[in-house]
Amino acid sequence: MSGPRSFVARRLLLGVAQTVAVVLLVFALTEALPGDAAVALAGDQPDPARIAAIREAMKLDRPAWERLADWTAGLLHGDLGTSLVSGRPVSLYLADAFGPTLLLASLTVLLLVPAGFGLGVLAARHAGRPVDRLISSVTLAVYAVPEFALGVLLVTVFALRLGWLPPTAVGYGTDLAAHPAALVLPVLVLLSRPVCSLVRLVRAGMIDALASPYVAQARRYGVSGARIRYTHALPNALAPAAQQLARTVDWLLCGVVVVEALFVIPGLGTVLLGAVAERDVPVVQGLAVVFGVVTVVLNLGADLVAHRLAPRAGVAA
Amino acid sequence: MSRLRTGRFALGVTVVAVPLLLALLGPVFAGGPGPRATSFTLGGGHWLGTDFVGRDVWRQVLHGGRPVVLTALAATALAYLVALPVGLVSALTRHRRLEDLLMRPLDVLLAVPSLLLILLAATVFEPDAVGLALLVALAQVPDAARLVRAAAAEAAARPAVEALRMQGETWWRIAVGYVGRSMLRTLAADAGTRLTGVLYLVATAAFLGVGVAPDAADWAVMVDRNRTGLFVQPWAVVVPAVLIVALTTGTNLLFDAALDKGGRRTGKEARP
Repeated sequence: MSGPRSFVARRLLLGVAQTVAVVLLVFALTEALPGDAAVALAGDQPDPARIAAIREAMKLDRPAWERLADWTAGLLHGDLGTSLVSGRPVSLYLADAFGPTLLLASLTVLLLVPAGFGLGVLAARHAGRPVDRLISSVTLAVYAVPEFALGVLLVTVFALRLGWLPPTAVGYGTDLAAHPAALVLPVLVLLSRPVCSLVRLVRAGMIDALASPYVAQARRYGVSGARIRYTHALPNALAPAAQQLARTVDWLLCGVVVVEALFVIPGLGTVLLGAVAERDVPVVQGLAVVFGVVTVVLNLGADLVAHRLAPRAGVAA
Repeated sequence: MSRLRTGRFALGVTVVAVPLLLALLGPVFAGGPGPRATSFTLGGGHWLGTDFVGRDVWRQVLHGGRPVVLTALAATALAYLVALPVGLVSALTRHRRLEDLLMRPLDVLLAVPSLLLILLAATVFEPDAVGLALLVALAQVPDAARLVRAAAAEAAARPAVEALRMQGETWWRIAVGYVGRSMLRTLAADAGTRLTGVLYLVATAAFLGVGVAPDAADWAVMVDRNRTGLFVQPWAVVVPAVLIVALTTGTNLLFDAALDKGGRRTGKEARP
């Protein structure tokens, strides 16, 4: 690593390579279909008209590289293809389902940052004492739990037994913001895993930072505890946490699929699952490209931020 | 600290014991399938009621753990089967080209979220349990290979390896006998977190209907399919959900306690 600029350049290059790989991988999906793709996709209704329609819609009689070129050119113009099942453009699916997913994800990230850092710093301040042991054990335990199992148990307790919250978002349509009660459980479930991993990282980083010579020196100067914690130690604990934050966004994309299925929220995850079940390849491809590219960009951003915060620590590139 | 550690270890064992025993021994005690009753009823000779097609929930619970546990174990083993040689070779080779050839494609694959990869494959292949294990393993390989490579590169840079080389020891003896042995601890720690992550993926995929029959005896499938009757017959959902929670939580607690290097852990290990 010969300097910040070369690191940034190499990381950007990796980002570009990853984007290209995501596009190629997603495109390769149709090529991976066993036998004649059109017949395979027609599935339960293999009548010749439908097979011909699929072949026509996916331009299967043309060579793969031509289709790849067309599809990529379309992607660059925001044209993600057309659904095999409904004939609607994939971008319309995206536009319809984008709202609920964005709302869920942004609410989660908004709550994740203060909760993760707050609990992490709290645990580090009381390292080894009951508060820390409680936070550490709970985060360790909850971290491993799949969202659907946790979600279903929360629904049973809070919606069924206590009746405080609605069990699903059925009947609210895409306008979830107007029904905050229906959002409490989904956001809570989405938060569970990312918060745990963030708390553990912040705690570990803070304990390291608080034990370092510069903190001891600051203490000798009589700098107040809060100031040491938040202006000196926390920034150093931030670098690994910033990276983790991007990884969590990657989990969020996965978590969103599960949570939307569980709480019947009409978002991108629901559209993706529906398309997977119907083998609507263009819709799956369009959504996968969007999910994949978002992940690549967020990880790229996080690595660059982490590099800026702690240039010493070699960041994966 | 050691008393604390023993305590956590015991807690982990206790939490994981119930679902693990049920998963491994359950099918032995389950007995034959009884006649089907009405869907979502309580009582009537069924200890935990009946499920969405009128089968005995307790019997489904006894059968439903094995696929989750076995698929997860198989996927973890498969992931290492690929990651170990790839990581070791790329750490020990002197040819930069070979290292790039092995590791760069994995760096690129790392960018795709695991569940997305599984869903993409499910669109075209309709995988069974073996297919699901393969897919989950594939999703784990990039990260595992990177970890193996990092651990092996650290060990390979030690003077002892230079000494072995100068003595003319074979590549195998250096790679397996020295480097492999000195990274066992790192690998064990990684295997613990990886198994937890794999359990998560396997259960989630099954919940979403990937790699399982729609009426399979599988805890995750039970949670999914019996949700419609949650208000009438909660046990068909709550019991398998609690078992999955106990299985994943217990595994994580157990490995964390078993591999704790005396207190402080860097949270970096805490990612799947």
